[in-house]
Amino acid sequence: MVEGFRPADLQEALEFMAKHPSIPIAGGTDLMIQKARGFGLKPDFNKPLLFIGHLRELRQISVRNGNIHIGASVLLNELIKNDKIPEALKMAVRQMASPPSRNLATIGGNICNASPAGDTLPYLYAADAFLVLKSSQAERKIPVGKFITGPGKTTLKSDELLTEIIIPDKVFSANYYKKVGTRKGMSLSKASFTGLADIESEKITDIRIAFGSVAPTIVRSREIEASIIGKPVSEIKNAVPEIVKKFAPLIRPIDDARSSAEYRKQVSLRLLENFLMKLT
Amino acid sequence: MKDSISKPITRVDAPAKISGAAKYIGDIHFENQLFAKTVRSDKPKAKIVSIKTPSLPDGYYIIDKNDIPGINRMRTVVSDHPIFADDEVNYIGQPILLVVGPEREKIYEIVSQIKIEYKDESAVFSIEEAEEKGTVFTEYSYSKGEPEAAFHDAVKIIEDEYHTGLQEHVYLEPQGITGEYKDETMFIYGSMQCPFYVKGAIQDVLGWDSDRIRIIQSITGGAFGGKEEFPSLMACQVAVASLKTKRPVQMIYDRDEDIICSTKRHPSIVHYKAGLGKSNQVIVLNIDIIFDAGAYSELSPVVLQRGMFSATGVYNFPHLSVRGRNFMTNNVPSGAYRGFGAPQTIFGTEMLMHNIAVKLGVDPLKYKINHLIKRGDPTCTGGKIRDEVKLLEIIEKVEKMSGYRRKIERRKKFKGIGVSLFLHGCGFTGKGEATIKGKIILKKNGDTVILKVSSVEMGQGAETCLRKIVAHTLSLPMEKVICETIDTGLIPDSGPTVASRTTMIVGGLLRQASLELKDCWNEANEIEISKTYKHPDFLSWDDDKFVGDAYPTYSWGANVAEVEIDSLTYEINVKKISAVYDVGVPIDEKMLRGQMQGGIVQSIGWATIEVMNSSKGKLAQHNLTDYKIPTSMDVPEIACKFIENPYEFGPFGAKCAGELPSAGAPPAVAAAVSNALGIPIKSIPLTPEYLMEIDKHED
Amino acid sequence: MKIEFILNDKKRVIQVDPASRLLDILRDDFELTSVKEGCGEGECGACVVLMDGKAVNSCLIPAGLIEGRHIVTMEGFRKTERYKVIEESFLKAGSVQCGFCTPGIVMSTESLLRENPLPSEEEIKEALSGNLCRCTGYNMIFEGIKLAAERGKGLW
Repeated sequence: MVEGFRPADLQEALEFMAKHPSIPIAGGTDLMIQKARGFGLKPDFNKPLLFIGHLRELRQISVRNGNIHIGASVLLNELIKNDKIPEALKMAVRQMASPPSRNLATIGGNICNASPAGDTLPYLYAADAFLVLKSSQAERKIPVGKFITGPGKTTLKSDELLTEIIIPDKVFSANYYKKVGTRKGMSLSKASFTGLADIESEKITDIRIAFGSVAPTIVRSREIEASIIGKPVSEIKNAVPEIVKKFAPLIRPIDDARSSAEYRKQVSLRLLENFLMKLT
Repeated sequence: MKDSISKPITRVDAPAKISGAAKYIGDIHFENQLFAKTVRSDKPKAKIVSIKTPSLPDGYYIIDKNDIPGINRMRTVVSDHPIFADDEVNYIGQPILLVVGPEREKIYEIVSQIKIEYKDESAVFSIEEAEEKGTVFTEYSYSKGEPEAAFHDAVKIIEDEYHTGLQEHVYLEPQGITGEYKDETMFIYGSMQCPFYVKGAIQDVLGWDSDRIRIIQSITGGAFGGKEEFPSLMACQVAVASLKTKRPVQMIYDRDEDIICSTKRHPSIVHYKAGLGKSNQVIVLNIDIIFDAGAYSELSPVVLQRGMFSATGVYNFPHLSVRGRNFMTNNVPSGAYRGFGAPQTIFGTEMLMHNIAVKLGVDPLKYKINHLIKRGDPTCTGGKIRDEVKLLEIIEKVEKMSGYRRKIERRKKFKGIGVSLFLHGCGFTGKGEATIKGKIILKKNGDTVILKVSSVEMGQGAETCLRKIVAHTLSLPMEKVICETIDTGLIPDSGPTVASRTTMIVGGLLRQASLELKDCWNEANEIEISKTYKHPDFLSWDDDKFVGDAYPTYSWGANVAEVEIDSLTYEINVKKISAVYDVGVPIDEKMLRGQMQGGIVQSIGWATIEVMNSSKGKLAQHNLTDYKIPTSMDVPEIACKFIENPYEFGPFGAKCAGELPSAGAPPAVAAAVSNALGIPIKSIPLTPEYLMEIDKHED
Repeated sequence: MKIEFILNDKKRVIQVDPASRLLDILRDDFELTSVKEGCGEGECGACVVLMDGKAVNSCLIPAGLIEGRHIVTMEGFRKTERYKVIEESFLKAGSVQCGFCTPGIVMSTESLLRENPLPSEEEIKEALSGNLCRCTGYNMIFEGIKLAAERGKGLW
């Protein structure tokens, strides 16, 4: 039997983590599947469980100083219903898992699970989201892209908790999201694509492009984005083949039980092309 | 329709199911019960060199081939599947032994300590490879007319090949059986379609007389063929375990295990060579069918037979030659799945007709209509179509419902419409019914009537349907007509719950008995009438030459599918299915609509998203995260209608129904996809990966 | 770990492994067998129960998470008037075949109607997308839910 600890507040949670190597559980939806052993059997956890889903500090959504702050234990279904959450993020969350799972699963869990197919991630990468990581002694704030280092791998230290996600509160004039799953309801992504852009005076003033499920981590290239910013919208059409060509080597998907590398690559580049053409 | 048998009534089993009070086998705890977990082969083909087991704590047991008092084979059509592996394994997932004991956690610990040493042998993983190596289980052929001469006369010859993939049943309730050895008798409880199949299998394994074996069906949470032969294997294993431990032993699979080791729909390759006459009519057809039977033959010969006898679909081809072969591979055994081989060959034939028509530049529906079989025509095996064939009426209705004619003329890329025509042979194939000779008993007891049958309720509505036939005949309220518990100690063998035979054959016997009972109702307070199936004299069947009436009659249908395909991702959106069926007379219009809609969605799954691949005998998709079946968001609008065409020998004119929809939706959807993309479709599932690839090549 | 929670309106205190699945606690410890296990990975919805009025997959919930929560299974819900309406509507619409998915579907229906007493067909499809049914093809379940929403006006 593993130990379980249910702290009264965040401080107590962090102090517990400082003393005991433990597994934080907010919603549990990913962990319970990863550790499942079969019907009627207990999941296979080897460290004490630290329950953090109920902590008030982690359940707030607020807008401060031009940033949206989302507590790590906010449920996916709560994101959909909250009017502070950007539509582009909601578009992704609405297609995640199913209603009974979204009533359990948290945004922090989706980030810490660090799956290449994590569906909140393309948006968070594109939106330049920051993560707040706290330990009993310290606090650091890092971009989401620096937090996730590979499939299931993050820079989270054993005494740290992801407490908050900070998204610059910026409204884009173009919001594009497409998830390609096996079916319409309840699917893991074969590929996903987020495109955000701003157009002023017929010129692209900002553009963000992120691909999910096609590399060990989410694919985003500031360099390619920078090469598009400043272009008149009228030139985009001619630039599309060049942009697609630049992205192509970054899209390095795999064959697995759900899809093929070839399809994932093709479809990702088609979605990119479609997004760009829609800007014109 | 007020007094019609078709007027819907409330399902008798539904209230307990809605409230959650219904107990499935996993919900029933037996006193002193033990749990069992199977240790399986992780090799596709190997000799077992040694098995090392840890020393067992008190109360824990290992059950293997050495514990079997009788025959170590599961009784079925071909009794070749070992209950526990002898000294070799032939597929990944093959059962080797059970660990049995009181605590699940401890059982798993013991399982993890068992070490099996194998000596690998060369295995066969695909039908193509099997054909090359010649690992044939069964080979059959039949012909009609003079195919060779006809090919000589043909002005055009078209050859084509069609592929279909594995399909897993995904009954929502996983397989589960409990065995209890008590009072010198073996009691088997569980989720199953065929209690008497299980009984026969237990007899062989224990080597006992049949009066010491009782099989009691528990509420069965879906089956679709997946609980036809497979529960016999589990039942034999727990029976041996219970005999050894002298305690009840329960074995419930979790989903992974269920998918890994249970039977699947046979993957198929069907090769066609069609000879066209001067008016572009198909005058001769050569059909070569191969099925992947997996590692053991089991039911595969009869699955192949139905596939072969259904392969001409709703058409009358004057000259025909059909060959069918089941191949042994080192994949999980294939078995019964709704439609039983027919959906595979009907898919091929429907798509062949579609693709020939498109190639000739004529409307596929018109082309198909030119080949329809009619009353009085010979069947593909030289039997006779005796009953009225209302295909033209069916087609007219489905065209009207769907607006097919209007829509097909306004084709746009990525939007398509397609039609399928299909049939299902009612009841067992060939001499099946004549051999099994189903029995039923109807017993009047005061103002109540008890019906004793072995046809089980597994979700399809059998209990309501059979009680309704009797109640309606005797003008009794439903609550005065009750079914005896499905317990082989209390009921006669009316045959297995398969082959869409329950309503027509078993219901037919109940109808006859009810009519007799009606005539003598006032003669006594207690009256018992039993009936045994008698094969109509006018039907003849030669089981060696495959000549005669493979089926007593047929049910018919037409589907129109409308699809939209995402031009970027090639994801298919099936927007609407319009369906018309002739199942004789519906015994309950609403229950039947449920059967048809469920069958349509299940088979759309097979045709589109249900991908199951195996690599070196190992399934790549073995849980519900990776093996995707349709969700509520994936289902099309379904319009479903019936036309009446009473069958003389069916109860109230009813024919077969439950398997019919499985054959219809896949070719309709594939034809619509072909229409949307302007390319021929020859293989399912129609994944976006596949469609993007073939569309690219066509460009 | 000691856990205190409300189960079908009764306060319960249990001593459990915090990793135990709520599904097993309900089935094994409380014999609430309306809660079914169909996949054990949150895909099929046969184990859906209500937690604080919302549909959740009980196979994905570790015991430590239910502290202070209200859990309702069919055994509790079937005593309500709203259940009666759902039952009648499902019977009328022919929403049930093998029944293994049905308790989970009733729970998801209750969760939906609490939030949205008059859902559109699209909203019904979305709300049921975590409950697999292999028998019906879903359309007759949608009919049952629409009927329940109509008949039960004012109850949700």
